Amino acid sequence: MSNATLPAGARDPGYPTERENYLTNSSGILSWLFTLDHKRIGLMYLVGVMSAFAIGGLLALAIRLHLLDPEGWMFSGAEANNIYNQVFTLHGAIMVFLFIIPSIPAALGNFLVPVMLGAKDVGFPRLNLSSFYLWLFGAFFFVTALFSSGLDTGWTFYTPYSTTTDTSVILATLGAFILGFSSIFTGLNFIVTINTMRPPGMTWFKMPLFLWATYATSIIQVLATPVLGITLLLLIAERTMHIGIFDPEFNGDPVTYQHFFWFYSHPAVYIMILPAFGIISELISVHSHKHIFGYRFIAYSSIAIALLGFLVWGHHMFTAGMSSLTTIVFSALTFTVSVPSAIKVFNWLATMYKGSISLTTPMCYAISFVFLFTIGGLTGLFLGTLATDLHLHDTYFVVAHFHYVMVGGTLIAFLGGVFHWWPKMVGKLYNETHGRIAALLVFLGFNGTFLPQFVLGSRGMPRRYATYDPEFATLHQLSTFGALLLGVGLLYAFIVLMVSLVKGRRAPANPWGGVTLEWQCTSPPPYYNFERPPVVGDPYDFHNLEWDAENERYVTTEPERKLAPESTPEEVPAHAGGQK
Amino acid sequence: MFPANESLAMTFPTLLADLNESFWFPIQGSSFAEEVDWVYDLILYISLAFFIPMMAFMAWCLVKYIKARGTKAESQTSHNTPLELTWSIGPSVLLVWMFVQGSISFLDMRTPPEGSYDVGVQAFKWGWTMDYGNGVFHPELHIVKDEPTKLSMRSTDVIHSLFIPAFRAKKDIVPGRYNYMWFKPTVASEKISDEELAKLKKQSEGATWDYDMHQVTPEGYTFFDLYCTEYCGKNHSEMQTVVVVHETQAELDAWIKANSARGSDVSQEAWGELLYNRRGCAGCHSIDGTKLVGPSFKDLYGSEHPLASGDNVLVDENYVRESIIAPKAKVVAGYQPVMPSYKGQLSDDDIDSIIAFLKSISENAPSEPAAEAESEEESAE
Repeated sequence: MSNATLPAGARDPGYPTERENYLTNSSGILSWLFTLDHKRIGLMYLVGVMSAFAIGGLLALAIRLHLLDPEGWMFSGAEANNIYNQVFTLHGAIMVFLFIIPSIPAALGNFLVPVMLGAKDVGFPRLNLSSFYLWLFGAFFFVTALFSSGLDTGWTFYTPYSTTTDTSVILATLGAFILGFSSIFTGLNFIVTINTMRPPGMTWFKMPLFLWATYATSIIQVLATPVLGITLLLLIAERTMHIGIFDPEFNGDPVTYQHFFWFYSHPAVYIMILPAFGIISELISVHSHKHIFGYRFIAYSSIAIALLGFLVWGHHMFTAGMSSLTTIVFSALTFTVSVPSAIKVFNWLATMYKGSISLTTPMCYAISFVFLFTIGGLTGLFLGTLATDLHLHDTYFVVAHFHYVMVGGTLIAFLGGVFHWWPKMVGKLYNETHGRIAALLVFLGFNGTFLPQFVLGSRGMPRRYATYDPEFATLHQLSTFGALLLGVGLLYAFIVLMVSLVKGRRAPANPWGGVTLEWQCTSPPPYYNFERPPVVGDPYDFHNLEWDAENERYVTTEPERKLAPESTPEEVPAHAGGQK
Repeated sequence: MFPANESLAMTFPTLLADLNESFWFPIQGSSFAEEVDWVYDLILYISLAFFIPMMAFMAWCLVKYIKARGTKAESQTSHNTPLELTWSIGPSVLLVWMFVQGSISFLDMRTPPEGSYDVGVQAFKWGWTMDYGNGVFHPELHIVKDEPTKLSMRSTDVIHSLFIPAFRAKKDIVPGRYNYMWFKPTVASEKISDEELAKLKKQSEGATWDYDMHQVTPEGYTFFDLYCTEYCGKNHSEMQTVVVVHETQAELDAWIKANSARGSDVSQEAWGELLYNRRGCAGCHSIDGTKLVGPSFKDLYGSEHPLASGDNVLVDENYVRESIIAPKAKVVAGYQPVMPSYKGQLSDDDIDSIIAFLKSISENAPSEPAAEAESEEESAE
């Protein structure tokens, strides 16, 4: 019918049968719990990190509500300050360890890396499943420990406070230690997968940028996370045996802990933000229907950020009393990271120029990202510059800055990614209008929450305060109202996705017009992703896509590209379990 | 709780209207402030010079290039090396400028001039003690205008950080070492008239002095806020004190002299109560029976307490003195050994005064001296 309007040879993989569809190809709870399918593991991770985010988000609202009044509004009584301290510790620890770090690599990455590569699964499917269970166990242990012991150290566990407080630091750090292994396993798996399982024809520079970003992230995960593990073990040893590394009472030096901690945790910031860059590169290119601008610069800048990210941890300690020379060197190194980050933003803008932009929900998030991340990045300059950092360090300016990077950056990219790949993951389309309204609410709510905090910080409001001087009240109240709006927006976005599961239209293979390989298989993908190794071309070459208005989908029109030889042996890996 | 809310309504509009403050910053109270604000503005304007055109460009693209679905893009240009090199290298030059400016100012802020006025600072959970030498300790920081001042800081427990927003100065205080900072205040505090002060004193009679509500110190000086900005546990947000900048050295000397010891016309109980409020006791020990970090002082003197070690102890002169000098020696059961030692910071008369104060608020104390104390207190007021 509609194909009459399309050129001859238009190809579309159609819809998967129930037996092909990875969601329905086997049923029963055990088929999920023991699955080795990266897509199911990715989906389970998605449910996990979203639950963690919900808990962390409610705690954030509690914090903001408490700060409605200078004397504290939410919590009252003699223990109000204690409760507040525990709540912000819980919020930070859950958001960092359970949400931001695993969100994109483990949830979206697990689903996308093999499909984008045209592979059937990751390199080590069993390791992949074990990393999920480690995360689940670690998360359960961590959350239980945090809630039961009322940890009040802040997510950074700074010594000597953490070695002297009577809350259960040991249980919580053990939780973080276990979560570290999950992170390392995921990173290791992706490195192996990307190194060894690219299909014929996919050279490094034919890889989608999301894969470059994931690869760079994985390098950091594998190299930096062990340092955190060792640091946390040393912290436990210090608490139990007083070995005298961190606690001055036993001839230790508390600043040593900060060096160790930030040697992991600064690169960890890039574990959070690099995959987000990858997502945004995909989103902007696909929804502008235009070749990504400066592919190589973006790819190289991911690697550059991953490497430079290891050299700048000292900028968290400008006021701690390092020598002047060390401080200045760290400041200089810090500025080097801003160059590759800026390059990416310029490239995204250039990609939109002369494109054909569709203002879809994912694109709305991508635009928000560019706006918010640019603010996050530019405000980082105030903190990297020594003279201004001395004034702004440990104030609300820092709080606002890192929320712009992590929430405005990672969370927004994560949401954009979820909305972009949702039709692929679940095979359903959501309501675009409602999706866009939710994105707008999130954008407004987020700015309402954190823009006032830049002013608060510049005016000298210290962070982690349960009560504050009355002159800061108005700005705090603005921030709280912003947070409530942000909460509404996020809930709205969640509802849009859930409604699509029930009422959504069936998704075509390629609803947006993407060229990367995941759009060449059905939505949702078949159990083994591809029948045969897919044809690999430039992942951002949009010449051969045609819009099929009748069926609201994009189809590929060039059939004559050389297929992989038919003689390729059919691989049925051991983990396939005899199924195809 | 209520007074603070009242003060919120009262003081907030005046504070925003204060001509000394800009939208972004508190008042410029030290020689660094101008320098830091200048660097801040430099970065702000460079950032805006990038941010506004970039966002305008994005908005323009959105207006111009939003197309119906299925429309092909006008161009598929994939790269332009000269352009990309320009926007990689161009901003780098500005970054170097920011870095250099920031570092120059930073080095100024790191090197105290010779002969700076030296004040010792001790930070503890959750309070400050400034050491003016010759046995004068006070929680407020009093310094002289246009006089370079160096703080030699130490912490008795965890990491704290001293931050004076008006001075744009901050430094962590790490236990186990001395950390130093310096600044030169440029704006002196003002002193309100005696009548006004008497009025405020009458208002807050019976309660501890609320700096935020009155916006002056108990001696009638306007002040700058001094915060702890490194998270240090439960009452981190209460760990605040104030900075008073005196016009002349003579004024500061007079203030120091007035605070050096108990005057002959002040009773021991009154002096003890003053020390209780001034030296951080009030943060952990209530006088109304509330359990805070440490045991309440109400009815403490003369009572018997079980210790963490299992023994019992009678709270008498000896025990109080020992607890002030060596607080970890005999810890009361149910409390953490977290109190800092006041060894060398309180004179014998100070300790005697605190003991006298404890006696005056305890029902368990021998009755005769207590009655005497009350009458003495009244006469002192």
